[in-house]
Amino acid sequence: MLRAEHLSKTYVTTDWSGFLKRKKSKVEAVRDVSLEMRGGQIIGLLGINGAGKTTTIKMLSTLLQPTSGSIDVDGLDGVRDAIEIKKRINMIAGGERMIYWRLTARENLWYYGQLYGIDNKQLAQRIERLLGMVGLAEKQDIPVERFSKGMKQRLQIARGLINDPGYIFMDEPTLGLDAAIAKELRGYVKDLACKEGKSILLTTHYIQEVEELCEYVYVMDKGTVIAQGTPKELALLGMENKVLCVELHENHERLHRSLTEACQSAERNCSIIWDGKNMAYTITSSKDLSSTVAKVLLEQQAVFKKFYGQEPGLEDAIIKLSRRDKDGFFYEGTEGRDEKTA
Amino acid sequence: MHCRTLYATFRRNFIIQLRAYPKDFFIGNVLSAIYTAVSAFFMYHLLFNGQMKDSFAGYAGTGDYISYVIIGNCMYLFMVRTLLNVSRSLITELREGTLESLMLAPFRRVQYFLGNMLQQTVTTSGEVAVMLLVCLPFGVRFSGFNGLAALIGLALALVSYFSLSLLLAALMLYTRDTYISQNTLFAILFLICGVTFPVQYLPGPVQWLSQGIPVTISLDIIRNSTLGGMTAAAQIGSYVRIAALSAVYCIAGFLMIKKVESAALEKIFG
Ligand SMILES: Nc1ncnc2c1ncn2[C@@H]1O[C@H](COP(=O)(O)OP(=O)(O)OP(=O)(O)O)[C@@H](O)[C@H]1O
Ligand SMILES: [Mg+2]
Repeated sequence: MLRAEHLSKTYVTTDWSGFLKRKKSKVEAVRDVSLEMRGGQIIGLLGINGAGKTTTIKMLSTLLQPTSGSIDVDGLDGVRDAIEIKKRINMIAGGERMIYWRLTARENLWYYGQLYGIDNKQLAQRIERLLGMVGLAEKQDIPVERFSKGMKQRLQIARGLINDPGYIFMDEPTLGLDAAIAKELRGYVKDLACKEGKSILLTTHYIQEVEELCEYVYVMDKGTVIAQGTPKELALLGMENKVLCVELHENHERLHRSLTEACQSAERNCSIIWDGKNMAYTITSSKDLSSTVAKVLLEQQAVFKKFYGQEPGLEDAIIKLSRRDKDGFFYEGTEGRDEKTA
Repeated sequence: MHCRTLYATFRRNFIIQLRAYPKDFFIGNVLSAIYTAVSAFFMYHLLFNGQMKDSFAGYAGTGDYISYVIIGNCMYLFMVRTLLNVSRSLITELREGTLESLMLAPFRRVQYFLGNMLQQTVTTSGEVAVMLLVCLPFGVRFSGFNGLAALIGLALALVSYFSLSLLLAALMLYTRDTYISQNTLFAILFLICGVTFPVQYLPGPVQWLSQGIPVTISLDIIRNSTLGGMTAAAQIGSYVRIAALSAVYCIAGFLMIKKVESAALEKIFG
């Protein structure tokens, strides 16, 4: 099990504002984040741009040292036992990085395998299996620079699995991929967790991916975890109002009046919007008005195409959670101070 | 000790080098060799009228200016290539987006740098051989050659260039600059380490500085072993001096790289 407790990271950046003038600023990218990962589980890490997801992942994968807080991987300490931990984890990022463009797919995997000191025979077998798994077996001897984006990304996934890690961190692994390839990648990810028992932490901006894959989700904003739970639980948080939709076959004058009356007597503040073009009603209210609406439809003998309640969406929940306070969408810590350097 | 990282890095670099412009690389080599030889030849015959000052032979241990300069340039080439390759290795990884994936792996830094170094040494040896061949008609002669002394000298020279390049690697990664740091350093080393003229012609304090750079000692050793006919036994003092200096540079370099490495990772966005 991987457990991170009270992780914080403050970046210190230096900007040269003149030839000799230096301004140091601090960005508190992550503040007091705690999370857990277990075998066979896919965890989602969501949040708007700049929320601190990548920073969190980099701390978990030993690339960055936390400013404070602790990481425990199978009983090993994240800072002290970093070398040992590196053997058990790996990270996959979107966007064509982390592979050598001038090497072929096979050479890339071979090189990384050597860095991990994997036994040569075992490495050869693993390369074979991984290339097959990501569908690059036939292109294994072509230099990566001639690969398409999707092929590069698939190779990166293979690279991320070369040391057979128990914990895999994926930072927007489907960034910029077309729908078909993204779907294929989601398939790999699911298999890794379900069939091979890997523990996966995934960040992504595609909500569908989270709904499809993640068992548990942490929502980050301005460096902290602002909500966590299963995707269903979180989606409910975003749903202030119940939304009902009725689509009709034809315009129905009387229905209009009685629907309005019935709904407003049940809940004074409900809103009923008629979309004449699609001949559809959208009824929004804080109460569940489905039985009221159903009754009116029956009474008026209205012939309708569809009548359904809108499902709560994770996307809305995240936007809503992240926008809780109105001042400023992005967090910028600027404790600037001017400094003259000799 | 397993040297997997060393071997893998060595092989990786060969593959990359062979895949990128092998032909241009070879032509470039021959051209720079001709340039070196021709400029030494003209300096000697046109500028100095084939007559060096008496002091030159005293300082250089030989009156053969052409051989002196060409051997200096061969060693300078070893130095430049080592510095370029070893020092730039990490910053190149940073620029090509592979620094993070590299640092995710639990590998030995020494082996990584040595792999880079050895691969470069093999190619540069080829280059130097080409250079010497091209220079033969211009009058390069090993008038006093002691094989053993030269071999030990070359090995120690390479070790010292390696340790120097670790320091430069840290500097480059820290400043995220290759162009200014490397070219400034090359120019300084070329001027004060006795590549084309004996350091004794330099002002006193600069001479003192140049003795603190292992490149100067390495050039002395190589020239003494190829032109001056000195034996290994006669040069033990120089061997010890260059080894000690290298050790200092090497330790300082590794300590700095460790620091700079994590600083570099902190500067990567996204
Ligand atoms: N190397 C760095 N130095 C200084 N500040 C940084 C650095 N990397 C990130 N930041 C800042 O830290 C904050 C969190 O960034 P981070 O990359 O972790 O966000 P993210 O959630 O991954 O965003 P995105 O969805 O855009 O990838 C941002 O304000 C960002 O500007
Ligand atoms: Mg990110």
